[in-house]
Amino acid sequence: MPSKDGFFQKLRARFRARAQDYGMAALEVFLSAAIGFLAGALALLVLGYDPLKVYEVLFSWGYTDIGYLLLKSTPLIMTAIAFSIPALAGVFNIGGESQLYVGALLGLLVAYYIHNAPLAIVAAILGGAGLGLFIALLRVYRGINEVITAIMVNWIMYWLLAYLVTGPFNNPKLPQQSVPVPKSAQIPVFSIGGVNIAGSFILAVIGALVIYYIVFYTKTGYIMRVSGLSPASAKYAGFSPEKAILTSMLIGGAAAGFGGALLVLGDVHSIDTTLSAVYGLGFTGIGIGLLGRNNPIGIIFAAIFFSGLLIGGQYVELFLNAPPNLSDFLIGVIVIALSIPYAYRFIISWIKRRRMAK
Amino acid sequence: MKAIARSALAIIVVAIIIIAGLAIYFASTQQRGTTPTTTTPSPTTTATQTTATTTTTTTAAVKKVNVAVVFDVGGRGDLSFNDMAYLGAVRAEKELGAHIEFITPRSTADMQPLLEQLSKSGKYDLIVLIGFLWTDPLNKTADKFPNQKYALIDSTTGVVRKNEVDILFREQECAALVGILASAMALKLGGNTVAALAGMDIPPLWKFHIGYLFGVKYFEKETGKKINFLWQYTGTFTDTQKGYTVGMQLIQQGARVIYGLAGLTHLGMFNAVKDWDKQHPDHIVLAIGQDASQEWIDPYHIPISGAKRVDVAVFTAIKMVATDNWKPGIVTLGLKEGGVGIWDLNGVRYFAELAYKEHKTSLTPDEIVKIVNETRHKYIPEYAWQLVDKLKQMIISGQIAFKTPTTHDEYQKIIQELQNGNLDAALEKGHI
Repeated sequence: MPSKDGFFQKLRARFRARAQDYGMAALEVFLSAAIGFLAGALALLVLGYDPLKVYEVLFSWGYTDIGYLLLKSTPLIMTAIAFSIPALAGVFNIGGESQLYVGALLGLLVAYYIHNAPLAIVAAILGGAGLGLFIALLRVYRGINEVITAIMVNWIMYWLLAYLVTGPFNNPKLPQQSVPVPKSAQIPVFSIGGVNIAGSFILAVIGALVIYYIVFYTKTGYIMRVSGLSPASAKYAGFSPEKAILTSMLIGGAAAGFGGALLVLGDVHSIDTTLSAVYGLGFTGIGIGLLGRNNPIGIIFAAIFFSGLLIGGQYVELFLNAPPNLSDFLIGVIVIALSIPYAYRFIISWIKRRRMAK
Repeated sequence: MKAIARSALAIIVVAIIIIAGLAIYFASTQQRGTTPTTTTPSPTTTATQTTATTTTTTTAAVKKVNVAVVFDVGGRGDLSFNDMAYLGAVRAEKELGAHIEFITPRSTADMQPLLEQLSKSGKYDLIVLIGFLWTDPLNKTADKFPNQKYALIDSTTGVVRKNEVDILFREQECAALVGILASAMALKLGGNTVAALAGMDIPPLWKFHIGYLFGVKYFEKETGKKINFLWQYTGTFTDTQKGYTVGMQLIQQGARVIYGLAGLTHLGMFNAVKDWDKQHPDHIVLAIGQDASQEWIDPYHIPISGAKRVDVAVFTAIKMVATDNWKPGIVTLGLKEGGVGIWDLNGVRYFAELAYKEHKTSLTPDEIVKIVNETRHKYIPEYAWQLVDKLKQMIISGQIAFKTPTTHDEYQKIIQELQNGNLDAALEKGHI
């Protein structure tokens, strides 16, 4: 029977054994951050902006409003996990985008008609998981590349959502948005000592921890990781890599759907007809997943870091009179630099695995 | 061994990159140090300027104000609302010496926190919000910051607050002028049917419907000629495909001039008109744009556009604060204030230049203005402009004023009366 004491001892032993790994990872992050910011600074100089001033605005405005920061990072945590968990099992899930749409839509509709937040979240998770599973089924039983399926499904869901939000579920009083989430089904924002902490963020963190536990402390997670590292060894050990792919996509899709529900119930409370509130969260999640080293806990921090850049980026336009795209460009440079070492290793091993599987 | 060598190599490469980066950075800052006149004095000069003007404010009634203009999601480059808002802000910068900063929210989820952060900073004498998407975020924020002034453009929260002004347009007035010109163009083309392709059945569109129909009926009354009137709701502001289909239907029902009142949807109608005219050069149909000058989209087939001057609204709001003439509540802009109207060739040129710069058209601004001028001369007879001037005078002088219906029933009643030829039914004040 694992006592509390034993758990912490185990944790400490585990940390000690892997201290060097953690040290290397920290060094890697530090170095790549330095390179990223330097490369960004060089590019800014070439474009004629003062890099120190840009960075000052980016950081002083991006990370000061904690409530905004946490709200912004909530859906990103989940879409990053939607990418990372399948990635551990050896599949590329770039369908986090559409899985989030489904979650947002189902969450919204259940909340609107039934006025019940938990039910809405369950519906969203099931919807997202179903869509993830659909892509995985095509991959496992029909051999259709999951990337291609996901890209197509993303656009199908995008236009379906756009149609539903402007058509049947449009708010007649406010034609720029969908029907609203009623007050009783909204996830509240708590004010603790003057700091706003979104309930949806807390739920996202709990979700991330649960998924962390599943991936690193259960048999299912172990099978997933082994199949991801080497499908052949997994088979040899009596595991089914196909089943691992199905579970990982199921978990990933569920996470994205969950993120969609959290966004709608905890933040925007309706979907605008331009879909600006939901569009791009899934794609941004891919970068955050790589930044967080495909680790749910790392992803929480990566999502907060990234959200700060996204928020601060808006103010670069305000204070430096720069085009709004400048901050997107800068964020791109920084994120690429930060995720390159991991992405490089990840892609090389992915290619190797694919070759071995054949 | 090999692994160590490789990681050592990697570290050396990284170190070189960092050193090179630092070197380039310092080199460039030094370069800046040698030519300080271009970069450093700008803050000092503005500082002296502001101190200078604080002394002059007692003589001139214009204050130097700090204003944040917050765009709609999407921001500049829409060749419509946001670009017009920018135009108005630049004018305020020039004429009122206001200091203006711009910001574009990333998504609707960012709108409210962004507004709160800006309000909390206390830096701005006024925050100008562009477009109806801001209605809800403003409603949730305005009461928390009673000392922060807000101006909401083209929408209203429906709540009267001391720190908020909602600037609306009297769309009926521009639609009425368009109605006269559309009728005259239809006759000139050899037909007698004018149409409008509208978005959704919502209050702003009711105003357009009343104005447009009024203009047509006014034309009938003044000229004694019979004009058929078609009004079609598409139920959407975003579906260009539907705009195309409904546009074609209107043409088949005999419409010779179609007024686009459906945002993106009516861009599809512009395409329908273009395609039709290509196939039927002996049965030309023309289109009319709205809000921004849309002539540049197809200058051969769009001779005029109704104007909704967001720039004037932004300027009006900034002026209120700069001249200490703050009037909270709802302010409406019409022909008298220059808030609505028909775009003149200068306006056409401004948007043609924007479109040309954004590579949305291959025609140069000069060419577009020339073509538009020609189409206007070809299809709009002189008497129509005279009628427009006559009605405009009546509106500007305050002799007549339009009703703004508050319920759907009231709106339909007005339309019915207008159809029967009772022009006064659309008027709040005066009669024809």
